This record gives sequence, structure tokens and C-alpha cells, in this order.
Amino acid sequence: MIAGTTRTLTWCAGLALAAVVIAYPLCVNSYYLALGISVLYFTILATAWAMFSGPTRYISLATVAFFGIGAYTAAVFGETWSWPVVLLAAAAIGALVAAITGLSTLRLSGIYFVIFSFGLAELIRQLVIWYEVNIHKSVGRYLFSAVTQDVLYWQLLGLAALVLLTGFLLGRSRYGLALRAIGADETAASHSGIDATRIKLAVFVLSAVFMSVTGAIMAPRWTYIDPSIAFNPMISFQVVIMALLGGAGSLFGPVLGVIPLVLLFEVLTATLPNHFSIVLGAIFVLIVMMLPKGVIGLIAPWSWSTPADGVTGAAPVRDQSGPLLRVDDASKSFGGLRAVDRVSFEVARGQIVGIIGPNGSGKTTLLNLLSGALVPSSGTIRFGGIAITGLKPHRIARLGLARTFQLVRVMPDLTVAENVAAAALFSAAPARATNRELLDLVGLAPMHDAPAGELTYIDQKRLELARALALAPQLVLLDEWLAGLNPSELETGIALIAKLRDRGITIIMVEHVMDAIRALCGHCIVMNAGSVIARGVPDEVLADPTVVTAYLGGADA
Amino acid sequence: MLLLDIVLPGLVLGGMYALIALGLTLQYGVARIMNLSYGESLIAAAFGALSLYAGLGLSPLVALLLAVPCAVALNWLLYRLLLERLMRRGKDRGAQEIDSILVTFGVLFVVQGVMLIAFGGQYYSYSYLSIPVVVFGTTLAVNRLVALLFAAAIGTAVYLALTRTRIGTAVRAIAVDASAARLVGIDVPAMSGFAFACGGGLVAIGGVLISMFLTFNASMGVVFTMKALVVVIMGGVGNVMGALVAGLLLGVAETAVARLVDPGLTLATTYALFLAVLLIRPTGLFGRAAS
Repeated sequence: MIAGTTRTLTWCAGLALAAVVIAYPLCVNSYYLALGISVLYFTILATAWAMFSGPTRYISLATVAFFGIGAYTAAVFGETWSWPVVLLAAAAIGALVAAITGLSTLRLSGIYFVIFSFGLAELIRQLVIWYEVNIHKSVGRYLFSAVTQDVLYWQLLGLAALVLLTGFLLGRSRYGLALRAIGADETAASHSGIDATRIKLAVFVLSAVFMSVTGAIMAPRWTYIDPSIAFNPMISFQVVIMALLGGAGSLFGPVLGVIPLVLLFEVLTATLPNHFSIVLGAIFVLIVMMLPKGVIGLIAPWSWSTPADGVTGAAPVRDQSGPLLRVDDASKSFGGLRAVDRVSFEVARGQIVGIIGPNGSGKTTLLNLLSGALVPSSGTIRFGGIAITGLKPHRIARLGLARTFQLVRVMPDLTVAENVAAAALFSAAPARATNRELLDLVGLAPMHDAPAGELTYIDQKRLELARALALAPQLVLLDEWLAGLNPSELETGIALIAKLRDRGITIIMVEHVMDAIRALCGHCIVMNAGSVIARGVPDEVLADPTVVTAYLGGADA
Repeated sequence: MLLLDIVLPGLVLGGMYALIALGLTLQYGVARIMNLSYGESLIAAAFGALSLYAGLGLSPLVALLLAVPCAVALNWLLYRLLLERLMRRGKDRGAQEIDSILVTFGVLFVVQGVMLIAFGGQYYSYSYLSIPVVVFGTTLAVNRLVALLFAAAIGTAVYLALTRTRIGTAVRAIAVDASAARLVGIDVPAMSGFAFACGGGLVAIGGVLISMFLTFNASMGVVFTMKALVVVIMGGVGNVMGALVAGLLLGVAETAVARLVDPGLTLATTYALFLAVLLIRPTGLFGRAAS
């Protein structure tokens, strides 16, 4: 009853607010209308900015590049084409430039992207000036349009509603969680089946489209447009400040930053026009130093929701006969060093295979080849009959080959449950267990909602295993998963691995704990200096003189 | 000789870029701070040299003696007051980089705003040693040759200091692995602050030298920051020789485009080179493969 009343009240308040916002231009004079327009266009820009840069932490300093592209498209075509076509053209050109920028920089580490975006607006501005001077023969353009300030306001209002709706849907979809997983640990995300490059690119283009359209809508406000107006770097800067002040990690955070700052800008331009950028810069430094999570960070740490458990889909068709994994002559060289040298082996379904050998013998490199972290210099790897040599990590993960890392990689800002959910997002196989069951299995159920970064080292290892299992894998690669456990934890760990085998999961484990190798593995492979020097049943292999020499050093070594 | 007309001025410009990039290498490669207000230090130093020359008749080469200690001190203060706190707060390298980018982005606008108030938006230049001399059949101004000479001398001195002294070795150790450097008894925060301040000193030298032969204005810093970043990345982060070669390459390429195509396209050239290197060799021309 009370809940129902609250809900009705919320709806009434929302509708009243919407009515006020829509009717605003009819009730106020032109000064306040102009202020309203500023609030709206910064709301769109800041929300679009935070849509990409918030979760991924790829800081884009290129907002004005897309805004300016939109404004210029409107200036060039505004008088000849019909207005909706102009807006579409602005969106298309913005998307194209974003796609080119994104394709060339987003697959690299974040820093390259930041640097490139930092100069992108300046680059485009210079290119536009060059074009206008040499080809159009005049730098500025006049745009006379019938769009009144009221209509401009309503267009922006519509776009603002659209960008908030998009942000809302994106945050609720699996792509929202995937973006945050990428922001937290991109390598771990790709090994959990997330196609990091494509998702980043898609969201970057989406946010650029909103920015370009905003620029096009705003263009008639100026009448006269030249590159220094359209590509004013101050706009990028203002947008970043607003989003960070409000909190880039949540949907409505940027809006909270926009309103006070637009009012502040207004006061500043009126009272201290010459000191504008100094005051702004100082405020910005203060925000970064004092409010790393923005205003909204003071209220609620996170306001995103986790998608439901157990995403299902069609299982990939697999060749059920023959070995599950077959490695033929795989090699990997780093410069002159052959870290893995012509290694061949097969793993049958349901087996636990141990890979042992002294440090530096190439065990982890071999796992990296299998999981796609590295591409073999030569040789082939077939998994379930499919050649996976050279496939990207997320593709291999989705096929059902999961891994843990020797140096633990969890996504520290996400909760334990979200870490596991992130892996299940794009898994093609039907979920065999819910995420809670998986956390139960590894003994982490009580920590369900804790941020993964706060777990102990051992618990982070457990979480990694749960995340690997969430892919519903056929094969799990464990890279020294038992290292660092105390004797009783070791016993639990060994029992857990045995339980996984009983569930039909095939396991390859790189391990130095020989008791575990003896207890679990039916077959093991010994590596030294990149090559396989022995293989067979653990007890026999460990007694092999060449193996003993490799570990302890021989008289001639 | 068109070729020499391009190569000689290109090398002079490239020498400046290499010097500026060397300073950024110290700030980014060692202190791990991606300083977006880097170019503003350069322009501030240029304005300093201009004021001393126009007001007191001091030679820019004498102005160096004043500009460098000031720049070192100011950059050190910037590090101690703002950046060091962020370095301690950041959980990992990524968080530290983002915070430092954001704070220095703010600093950029503060410094630029101060310069805009003091000098306005117009372009400045002054005439010092602009006596033409003929070198290999190409006419160059003496001021460019002097600038190149200074850049070469200072660059060599820094290189030797980095490779031949104890402090230089400590600085390089931090660049390779800050946590391992701490384990062998290097005071990482203090040395990082020192490297950051020295980077600021180097860019001030670059600013004074460049002011002798280029026109500049208060809002040009961004362009120099970009060029320095591009040179550092092209050369491979932390690689001094790489930065030298990349700087010279960029200088010659820009001069060629300005001379043969259009002076308005120099920044586009910078970007084209940057993109090409990123796509073909993301770790830089001389960078080691990422682990």
C-alpha cells in the first residue's frame, strides 16, 4: 500500500517535472531560455561522454571534435538540405570519424587513446581551416535558419531524453557490465569471452553520434560559424569537468555536475570574463583532488544493476570424437629466444593433465598460446576439432576454453558476483550452474557483494576459478592455481579440482606442487627450456633421470 | 638545393623536438606523469625570454640561466603539491595515469589563462641573431644554428648524466620498474620529483631556444605538448635515442610538408606519422615488445 503510494507519487513528480521542462521556453524570457539551452546541451555532451569514458576509464578529450563536426555539417548543408537530413548527415560523419579514430587507437592501451583524442580537435580544426582557405576561399560561414530558440530547446530536450534512455538501457544490458569489466581489467575481460575492442568501439561511436548531433542542433544559435567557434577546446574541457564533478560512473551523475557548473560559467563570463579559464582550471584541479568519484560518489557508490544470472544461448557445434585438445608442433619465439619449442600433445576429454618443469621452461607461455593471449610463431592448436591458432582470447573463451592467471587478475572495482556474471555474458554454451552455485562451489558465496579488490589473495584465486567456470567451459587451464595455499587449503583445493573433473570438465594444470600432480593427474608433461623432455604417468616421469637433471641440474650443467 | 632547404631547417626543428621530448620522457617515463600542461611550460619560458630581451635587453642565452632554475622549481612544486598525492592515491598505474592526465589538464587551462591575461592572444616574435649565413648552399639564420648547437650540447649532457652517474642510473632504474627500484634502496618519490622537475627544466630550455626563431602565442602550448608526446611514443617510451631519431624525423617531415604542400598541414603530418607508427609498431620505432 505504502509502496504503491510512493510509486504513484514518484510518477506524478516525474510527470510534473517533465511538463515543467517541456513548457519551460513558453514561460521564461530569452536570457533564461539561453541558460536552459546551455544546461541541455551540456547535459547531452556530458552524459554521452560518461557513457563511454565512465565505465571504460578511457578518458576522451575529443568531445569538441565531434561537436564541431556536427556544427560544421549544419553550417555547410543547413541551407540546402532539409533539417532532419542535416542531422542524419552530422550523425553519420561523426560516426565515421569516431570509427576511424577508435579502430586505430582503441585496440592499444588507454594512454594512446587519450593522447590521440587530446589532439584530435586541433587536427580537425586545422584541416577544416586548410580546406576553407584553399578550397572554399573563406574561413567563416553564415547559417541563416528559421529555427527559433524555442524549437532549438525542444530538439535538445528530445535528444537529452534519448541519450539518457540509451544510457539507461546500455547500463542494464550485458554490454554495460562488459564495459565496466573492460575498465577494471581488460585482459581478464577478454579471457572471459568479452570482445573488448568491438564493445569499446561501438560505445565510442554511439557517444560520438550524440555529440555530433548536438553540434548540428546548436549550430543555428550562432548564425556565423568559423573553426575557432565550432572547435573551441574549452568545450571538451567543460564537459569532462561536469561529468567528473557529478560522477562519471553513473547515469545521472553528469547531470548533477552540469547544472551547478553551467550556472557558475554564466556568473564567471559575466563577472570575470578574462579569468574564466584560470578559475575553471583551478576548480577542475580541486575536483580531481577532492572528489575522485564525483558528487554522486558521496551519495551512492554504484547505481548500475547487474543483469540476470544464467544467460543462455545455443551451444557451439563440437566434434565429440577425438581428443578435446590437440597441439601440433607449437612454437613461440621472442626475438632469438624460443620460449616454446615444437611442443605437441593431446588431451582427451575428462582428463587432468599436469604441465611441470623448472621456472622459465615455457609452461605459462604454452598456456598463453592455448588461451590466445599469444599467437604461436608456428604450429597448430585444435580445440574440439576447431583450429583456434591465432584466434582472439574472447573467441577462444567463448568456445569453452577458460583459464586462470598465475598472477591473479580479478576486476577489482566489480563485486564478486559481477566478476562471475561478466564471464557468463557472452558465453555461447548454456549455463550449467547459476553464478551463486559457482560461488558456493569455490566457497565464496558469503562474499557475494564484496568488491573483488578487497578479497584476500587466496579468495581472489577462488574467484578467478569461479569466473572461469562461469564460461561453462569444456577445458580449464589452471596456472599455478594451488601455489601459496597452506596445507589444509591445499587439500580443499585438490578436492575441488577433482570435483570439477567429476563434473566432466577437462583440466590442464601448470603446477609446482608435486603432491597435487601425483594426486590428480593421470598424465603429465615435463618441459625444460621450451621443449617437452618427458611425458607419462607422474610417478614414472618424476623418477626419470632427465627430469631430475632438469630440476636439480646435472653434473655437466 | 631544395633537398637541403628541407633537411637543414628540418633538422634544426627536429633537434628542438627531440630536446622537448627528452624532458617529457623524464616526466612520463620516470615520474609516470602524463603532463598535458607540458607545452604551457614551454610557452611560458618563451614569454620569459621575450620579456627579458625586450625589457632589459638580455640575450636569450643569458635568459636560460634564469628560466631553467625557475622552471625546475615550479615543476618541483607542482609535483610535490599536487601530483605526488595522486601518485600515492592511485591503486595502479592506470589510475595514476588518468588522475595525472586530468589534473594537468586543469593546470593547462590555469597557466594558459594567466598567459592570455598577461600577453593577450596575438603572436609574438623578436629578432635576435637573425643574421643569415650560408650553410651547404642553404641560407639559415644564425639563431637557428645557435639553438641547434645548444640543444645538441644539452641533450648530450643529459644523456651522459643518465648513463654515467649514480643519480642517472637510479632515475633509469625507476623508469624500468619503480617497485623494484624501491627494493634496492632508491627513494622513488624523491627521485621521481627530481626527474619531473628536470623535465620541466628541459622544456624551459626548449622554449627559450624556440622563441629565438619561431613566432608563438599564449594558446600554442597544446601543439607542442602533442608533438612531444608523439615523439616520445614514436621513439618508444623511455628510449632516449629513439626520441632523438623520432624528433629529427618529425622535424624533417614537417618541414617537407610545409615547404612542398602547405604550411597549414604540419599538424596533420604529425598525426599521420603518429598513427602510422601506432598501427605498425605500437611500442615505438625502438621500443621493446610489450610483455
